[in-house]
Amino acid sequence: MSAYSLKDIIINCREKFPVNNLWTKHRSLLQLNLHTGESSLDGFIEESGLHRPGLAMVGFTEVYSYHQVQLIGHTEWNYLESLGAKRRREIFFGLDKFTSPLWMVTHGQKPHKELFEMCVRNKIPLFSTTLHTFEFSHLFQRILEEFFAPYSVIHASLVDVYGVGMLYVGESNVGKSECVLDLVERGHRLVADDVVHISKIGNSIIGRANPMVKHHMEIRGVGIIDIRSMFGIHAVRKFKKIEVIVELQQWDRNTTYDRTGLTSSIEEVMGVKIPHVLIPVLPGKNLTVISEVIAMNSLMKIDGVDTASNFNELLLKKIKEKEKNKEKSFIDDEFLDDSFFSSNAYE
Amino acid sequence: MISKKLIVTNKFGVHARPAGMIVDITGKSKSEITIIFDGQKANAKSILNVMMLAIPPGSEVQFDIKGEDENEIMEQLEKLFNENFHEESY
Repeated sequence: MSAYSLKDIIINCREKFPVNNLWTKHRSLLQLNLHTGESSLDGFIEESGLHRPGLAMVGFTEVYSYHQVQLIGHTEWNYLESLGAKRRREIFFGLDKFTSPLWMVTHGQKPHKELFEMCVRNKIPLFSTTLHTFEFSHLFQRILEEFFAPYSVIHASLVDVYGVGMLYVGESNVGKSECVLDLVERGHRLVADDVVHISKIGNSIIGRANPMVKHHMEIRGVGIIDIRSMFGIHAVRKFKKIEVIVELQQWDRNTTYDRTGLTSSIEEVMGVKIPHVLIPVLPGKNLTVISEVIAMNSLMKIDGVDTASNFNELLLKKIKEKEKNKEKSFIDDEFLDDSFFSSNAYE
Repeated sequence: MISKKLIVTNKFGVHARPAGMIVDITGKSKSEITIIFDGQKANAKSILNVMMLAIPPGSEVQFDIKGEDENEIMEQLEKLFNENFHEESY
């Protein structure tokens, strides 16, 4: 069993998305227009869902997800338009008792005056966007999902090796940083060293650097170094999906290491299963080349090539053959199979 | 040095998995270990050496062990062979 466990990490969750954040950070991406004053932006979004309040506007409010962002799309807007001002006023006075985090009108449609007045009365921010409803929902949902994603901070290093996100774990002093530095020197990209912020987005674990530490590293005997200014912009990247966990361990005679690659070890991080490789560390052992081999091997597996199984099938075939013609000598077989004389390779 | 002949009793012979089990035992030893099958000698600590022998089920293989823990290692190997490498028997 691995000594280093990623199972008992502390998982945190953000609970409140400040509406102000939406306006200041995502205004241009979401093509937003604010109709109410900036003072209405003090609230928070506490649920990641988006609600289309069609039924609530018709009058059914027994079940109403008013805690979510209220979205007026093409359908709802045209319904309101068809009603006339008097009926609209009644509807929005009826919705006064539900305080939603914000109302959003899509498609570049002009919000109705009655909706605007309700928002002002209840200090709810009212936005409109020129995006289509589905484009807006898609982008907005991603922003919220990322924000509400469970996250944690772990002691590890993350490097992009040939496009494979490799997370190095292991006790301090085992040589994680040195291994990372060597990889960077060979043209691979550092995501984070020593401290990795991980978050679960969809069914992936995304790792990134601590916002303060960023692309700095500490090398024992040298001190703090800045990878970006030393190696250049190509040597760093901001975030990366974690695809392989490499555990470095001081070599131990009594530990069993994988010799065939037939059984894959899996580590679970925040409920996501990630392949795990245990590598013994010995003086003079080149961890960099091994890392590159692990990365290439996992690329091959993604491509559907499982070398270990293929090799074993070959071996099983050979064993069967030998079982059939027991009297025939094995060495002669080999010789015939691979004879220099039967191929042009000899010349 | 001690030397002993063991019978491969699992259904599929010494393929990758059993070979892995053999080198798990031999790899921890400080002794010099040789596996001999069908007149071929191989280093029993190297998985590729063991696998290239392609030992079919029912065969007899010989282990030569030389070193301080020779008896202990031989015992472990005997146990592994007797248990059919935790697989179906021949």
